[in-house]
Amino acid sequence: MDAIGILNQIFVGLSRTVILFIVSSGLSLILGVLRIPNVAHGSLYMIGAFMAFTFSKLFGGGDLGFWMALIGAPCAVALISLAAERGIFQYLYEREHLMLILLTFAFSLVFGDLVKIVWGGEYKSVPVPYMFQGFVPLFGGLPFPLYNVFLLVCGPIIAILLWLLVNKTKIGKIARAAAVDREMVGAVGINVSWVFAIVFVIGCLLAGLGGVLVAPTVSVTLGMDHTLIIEAFLIVIMGGLGNIWGALLGALIFGLSQSMGILIWPQFGIIFPYLAVVVVLIFRPTGLLKSTW
Amino acid sequence: MGVVNYNFIPQKLEGGTGMKKSILFVAFVAFVFGLGICSQTGHAADTIKVGIVDTYTGPATSFTQDALDGFKLAVEKINAKGGVLGKKLEYTTRDEKFKPDIGLAMAKELVLKEKVDILAGTINSGTALAVSDFAKKEKMPFFVFYSKSEKIIGEKGHKYVFNMNENTEMAGRAAAFALAKKPFVKYWIAGDDYEYGHAIADAVWNNLKKAKPGVQLLGQSWWKVGEADFTPYITQIMAAKPDFIIVATGGSGMVNFQKAAKATGLVQKIPFYQHTGNELGTLLPQGKDAPEGVWGTSNYFFYYPETPANKAFADDFRKAYNRYPKASALVGYMTAQFIAEGYKKAGKVDNEAFIKALEGMSLDSPVGPLAIRACDHQLELPTYWGVTKKDAKYDFLISGDIQVIAPKDYMPTCQEVLKNRK
Amino acid sequence: MATGILNGKGRIWLIVALVALCLVPFALPRFYVYLLSIILLYGLFAMSNNFPLGFGGIYQLHHAVFYGVGAYGTALVITKSGLSPWLAFLVGPLVAAALSLVMGLICIRLSKLYFGMLQISLGSLVWAVVYRWYSFTGGDDGIHGISVPDIISSYQGAYYFTLVVTAVSLFILYRILKSPYGSTLQGIRDNPVRSAMIGVNVKRHQLLALIIAGFFAGVAGTLFVVVDNTVFPDMMFWTLSMEAVIMCLLGGWLTFLGPMLGAALIVLIRTFVSTYTVYWALVLGIIFMLVIFFLPNGVLGWIETLFKGKTKLVEAKE
Repeated sequence: MDAIGILNQIFVGLSRTVILFIVSSGLSLILGVLRIPNVAHGSLYMIGAFMAFTFSKLFGGGDLGFWMALIGAPCAVALISLAAERGIFQYLYEREHLMLILLTFAFSLVFGDLVKIVWGGEYKSVPVPYMFQGFVPLFGGLPFPLYNVFLLVCGPIIAILLWLLVNKTKIGKIARAAAVDREMVGAVGINVSWVFAIVFVIGCLLAGLGGVLVAPTVSVTLGMDHTLIIEAFLIVIMGGLGNIWGALLGALIFGLSQSMGILIWPQFGIIFPYLAVVVVLIFRPTGLLKSTW
Repeated sequence: MGVVNYNFIPQKLEGGTGMKKSILFVAFVAFVFGLGICSQTGHAADTIKVGIVDTYTGPATSFTQDALDGFKLAVEKINAKGGVLGKKLEYTTRDEKFKPDIGLAMAKELVLKEKVDILAGTINSGTALAVSDFAKKEKMPFFVFYSKSEKIIGEKGHKYVFNMNENTEMAGRAAAFALAKKPFVKYWIAGDDYEYGHAIADAVWNNLKKAKPGVQLLGQSWWKVGEADFTPYITQIMAAKPDFIIVATGGSGMVNFQKAAKATGLVQKIPFYQHTGNELGTLLPQGKDAPEGVWGTSNYFFYYPETPANKAFADDFRKAYNRYPKASALVGYMTAQFIAEGYKKAGKVDNEAFIKALEGMSLDSPVGPLAIRACDHQLELPTYWGVTKKDAKYDFLISGDIQVIAPKDYMPTCQEVLKNRK
Repeated sequence: MATGILNGKGRIWLIVALVALCLVPFALPRFYVYLLSIILLYGLFAMSNNFPLGFGGIYQLHHAVFYGVGAYGTALVITKSGLSPWLAFLVGPLVAAALSLVMGLICIRLSKLYFGMLQISLGSLVWAVVYRWYSFTGGDDGIHGISVPDIISSYQGAYYFTLVVTAVSLFILYRILKSPYGSTLQGIRDNPVRSAMIGVNVKRHQLLALIIAGFFAGVAGTLFVVVDNTVFPDMMFWTLSMEAVIMCLLGGWLTFLGPMLGAALIVLIRTFVSTYTVYWALVLGIIFMLVIFFLPNGVLGWIETLFKGKTKLVEAKE
């Protein structure tokens, strides 16, 4: 494959990276600030995709359906996560990590079956909105779907928004402080419990958002959660816990090693992302960028 | 460092409560066990019970649910007419969630605890092969609804297993039969990088080369199962400029690829083929947005042939389940009927007589008479070659330009299948 | 002299339990014999996971790799080479132990969650290779119809073999835990810094724990081959590792027999709930949540506190 082909491959693999980044950044926030390894993160991503289908259907499919889904579905996921946090999680922050892994795993089991109960077992499909149908010719005239352009625009915007939120807003600063020393923050008079709730909800909202954005490009099915969750965790660990740019970097490495790997060694191409994670962790055990732990 | 760690004081392996621990442990397990034994159902002597192990959660559900519903529809009809040899036909299902070890354990539970008479299932080929092996040991008939591995009646075949849907070798031959008549010479092969994908691709290509020696393979692309972003591969393929692409996807990969083919305009530039690409299971989820011009093979359409029998079946199914039947619905429907007729012909609930009765048996179906081939227990289904196109009557695309490929034209011969068995 | 389950009155009850287990095939139908075999081998799998997890404080999050590799090792030797199956039963656990050594050497420099994640990455690598190497390992189809020696191929035969092997393995694990090495390991779990200060080679002790755990996981995998005569790549997938961790946590990861209880509970609940509903995962999930909320030390841990009084969760400041 020549240079133009490779350039095309890179460009195009990036749109998948955007989804991985959005979902992973949410996971990174939750893991970095709240120290909860949220195994249910994949389930929330899946719920986001299914919610997108429902919203899209409610508003007649097409463009309006998509935009309503983009706003509505992440909010729905946020509400669900808020209920879970206030109802159950907030009592368990003191517990051992392993117990929290078990708890979030239990949630993923429950969510998995609940999705089936609510939406049934059939594949669902969310149509690409009309304004993004079609493609632009890229290097050498090869087609690049417009929807992927939309994703490539969304990615950096969300990254910047998140960075601003975490570093420049008051709530972001409090969250980062609470990640390091919860007691001190509480002693200063801030309601740490609500801070944690907000961070948790934002993290889950990001998972739902990822689900909505990916929905028009794939078939929305049960089992979406399993494939994504392991990738998200590996990306977060690679990038550094709680670090937004780390999640971006991790997603890039993961996504690109995946597509390049298949070109190099088709039969065993899927091992390249795992290999990348192994290499990174051997040389930088706490992740590529600074983590909050 | 300001970081708070939470440690714990562990339980030491003390002696004093060792005794109590052991008692409680055994008592507790015995208690739960006892609960389990009490929940023993088994079944009455006046019913014939079919145990179905399949995946009802996850992406495969859309197919397996249809198989089950088709089966249920037939069972209701059979029981309404008096059942089988005076006994009611019953069934019970287990959801293995696409995990073969759970599937096998469930099959064992169905046979050893529920004492079913017949096993059926499963879409997961690993489970199908494991359960088939178990069925052979238990001398229990096993009907495969949806797994397409050719090993089931080929290399790992035996007299207790029946394959009620097409396998990859059959699909490949049917496609090759149709493609050999087309003018395409330069081919590209692409697909999901797992056993099913490779099996389909190999079957199509090997048979195509035999039928039309002049075809050339320009290259291959294989992506991981569940891949969502095909654009890198599509650009690679388009750059090579083949006449035709054989796309070996399965499951959700079918829809994903079609979406990408439409989004990148591939479908207008280079024609391609997918097994079940023109089938309802693949086209229904996409609604009116599915791409036109995709070639495919399918083993059932509810809208073709437009015979009264087919229409009646589709209407019954729709009335009962509020949706149109997919190919797996036909399989489930016919399996129940074969089970009933097999026992009737045997005259008693005896496995060996049942199997003998089924070999070569032909029954009327919504698409005409279908027979179970005696030598390898493969159901002889017609294959329909066609291309996707819009239809004003429906909210989804259907297959047009349908060409019927009869079993005799494409199925491997008895000799070919049996020589693989050990 | 440390007292333990094996001394005094505890011994009598243990013997009673063992005798009861030996009599099961005479009392219960084949299905329950099969089910008990499965419970025993999953129990061994979970207990071997708990060796580094509960007693070593190591985040062993991808234990299924060793289980799966042990199973595949045995399966491949039986099906591909002409060697005796009894030899194959040894090869499986040894290969698993060798893999734990290699993976351990790479992972051991990290700690806690990072260790777990690195182990998951490496383990996923191994899984991917097995999954893809269709010509050698059967790929996603797995290997079926593996023949085992006649005396252990029946349900009863497989059960007794499993019972004996599991009992012996657990006995060995117990003795290791009670030995000076075991005490040191638990000391390292409680306070690695202090242990290092008194001259303990922390990493070496942990590495040994990993090898022991891997070996017995391989034994469990071999038992699976004996009982079910099949192997699948799923056996080394991370979801099974999660299940093993959950068996430990559910049963009580700070107790010796806890993981066995956890395994029993999960297998039993899954088997019997699925006769009533397809939504057995939902039921399992809810049960887990209840246990976490109300029984943070697992079921057996809770039972123990009924007799002993509470264990305390203590903050240790750096």
